[in-house]
Amino acid sequence: MSAARSVYLTANVAILIFLIAPLAVIAIFALNPTPYIQFPPVGVTWRWFQKFWASPEFTNSLVLSLEVAFAVVVLSMAIGGAAAIGLERGRLPGARLVTALFLTPLMLPAILTGLAMFQLLLSFGIGRPVWALVLGHTVVAVPYVIRTTLAVLSEFDRRVEEAAAVLGATPTRVFAEVTLPLIRPGVFAGGVFAFITSFDQFPISLFLVTPGHETLPVVMFNYMKFDLDGTIAAASMVSILLAVGVVFIIDRLVGLRATVAI
Amino acid sequence: MSDRISRRAALVGAGAGLAMVAAPHVARAQAATLKITTWGGKWGDVMKGEVLPAFEREFKCKVEADQAFPFLPKLAASPTSAPLYDVLHTNSNEQWSALDQGLVMDKLTVREVPNIKDVYPYAVSDRIVGVSIFTSAIGLGYRTDKGLAPPTSWKDLADPKLAGVRGAYQIPVNSLGQSHLLLLGQLYGKGYQDLDAAYKALEALKPIKMVDFTGQMEKMILSGEVTMAVIHDSGILRYEGQNQPTEFAAPREGVLSLEQVLNVTPGSKVKELAFAFCDYMLRPDVQKKLAEAVWYSPANKTVSLDKKYADRLFITPEKVATLIQTDWKWYNARKDAIDARVARIMRA
Repeated sequence: MSAARSVYLTANVAILIFLIAPLAVIAIFALNPTPYIQFPPVGVTWRWFQKFWASPEFTNSLVLSLEVAFAVVVLSMAIGGAAAIGLERGRLPGARLVTALFLTPLMLPAILTGLAMFQLLLSFGIGRPVWALVLGHTVVAVPYVIRTTLAVLSEFDRRVEEAAAVLGATPTRVFAEVTLPLIRPGVFAGGVFAFITSFDQFPISLFLVTPGHETLPVVMFNYMKFDLDGTIAAASMVSILLAVGVVFIIDRLVGLRATVAI
Repeated sequence: MSDRISRRAALVGAGAGLAMVAAPHVARAQAATLKITTWGGKWGDVMKGEVLPAFEREFKCKVEADQAFPFLPKLAASPTSAPLYDVLHTNSNEQWSALDQGLVMDKLTVREVPNIKDVYPYAVSDRIVGVSIFTSAIGLGYRTDKGLAPPTSWKDLADPKLAGVRGAYQIPVNSLGQSHLLLLGQLYGKGYQDLDAAYKALEALKPIKMVDFTGQMEKMILSGEVTMAVIHDSGILRYEGQNQPTEFAAPREGVLSLEQVLNVTPGSKVKELAFAFCDYMLRPDVQKKLAEAVWYSPANKTVSLDKKYADRLFITPEKVATLIQTDWKWYNARKDAIDARVARIMRA
């Protein structure tokens, strides 16, 4: 093995360890019987997972987080996908400015977006319904879908669409049977990011959740302030496993290779 | 007469049907809703499990209890004429900030909250905005298995043997850290407002482990990551009976008071209900239930606690006299400068 290859492998292993080590610590904390982080662990227990699943506060927030995240995925894929097509194909005046505007939520600190939305909702007397929470998450999720879809569209061979049109397909049919399948990896990749962004979203949720309807990250934060025990680690493990599960499902649906290639 | 249903009849029927379906919701909507803030953890469990349902039944209302921080920025961002909360429960420092912004009433009196007649003077002193319903005593928590003599003075935290294993709080974000800083001025300087002496004493405590939340500090003491730390008594006493090698010491110079304060927002649409809630929280039975659940010292002096709690909590005039209340108005006015200076000290 050449020296360069050894360095390359070592660097990769080091990065892998750097990425996995925090997860390992969480797993140890989640399975350790003591209510604090202890190394080496003194045993193995499921009590923190049991406590997590037995707590209506945690389970309800998990369900709400999942519901919101799925709604955000659908909305952001629809809005982001359509916006990307419009920006790429629409020959819109000021398309660059509009693209920049769509990406603004990524540049602003999310806590400011949350606070601004909170004030807006209250000043209109709307309150904080769940749809506002979905909307808030969608605002920061849409840019991911736009970016990933634009990346696919920039590589898009338009001659395929022209061929379909020449063969007699209507514009609607061309869109449904040619354009959509080809941009699907980009839209789905954005959907994965949208899911993760929403499921982990904390700063925006902090302002938009209502009593009794808190998302999992908010409940975890509040719990940590008073009871920092293994339940938090168990909740983190559940979150991680769910995120991995979603990536797995996406892989089944569209193929992870296509998604990763973007 | 036609058998067919006329459009008008259909509309009337549909309207009546909708009204029937909506009736329970309308009835519920008519019941007043009291919006409050409250803590999580065991406190939140008792509040949501027992205290609030009992209040709702007695006052025929609905209580919306927000446990999601940060309370004050959310209240500040809501219109003052339609505040997000009717009752604000925070520690004392935040109540003073809220008062500065016109978000809470400056005083609650016996007229609005009759049970105030039974509280210890500290609960409605000039250091309190609103009314303190409980207090914890901030002192020193320590490990009993490290061969240390139990601390008797705040100055014991500066013992060189504790370098790197003593704990306190991130001063910009934690009121325990802030009140401890002022106490350092009193201990090592000319008084609570002697910030120069306080900064010097803080510097002398380095290396010190600083955390944001008291919950983190509890775990650091339990895990042995720190041997001695500034902490409120409930953070140690709540593990009583679990064979943990930890103990709480009340230094002879006095203990800092960590008050749980309730106040009412001036723009509340259900102010009478908000006052009733404050009064309810001061009832002896409610005070006893919460005090024994979370080891907080009740402010109502007529409360009779079980011996185990009575022996440890601050419920006698002698013990209450040792509580030191921080001048938050003075502190908040200088907070930005203090934060900047502390940040420099801790970075150095």
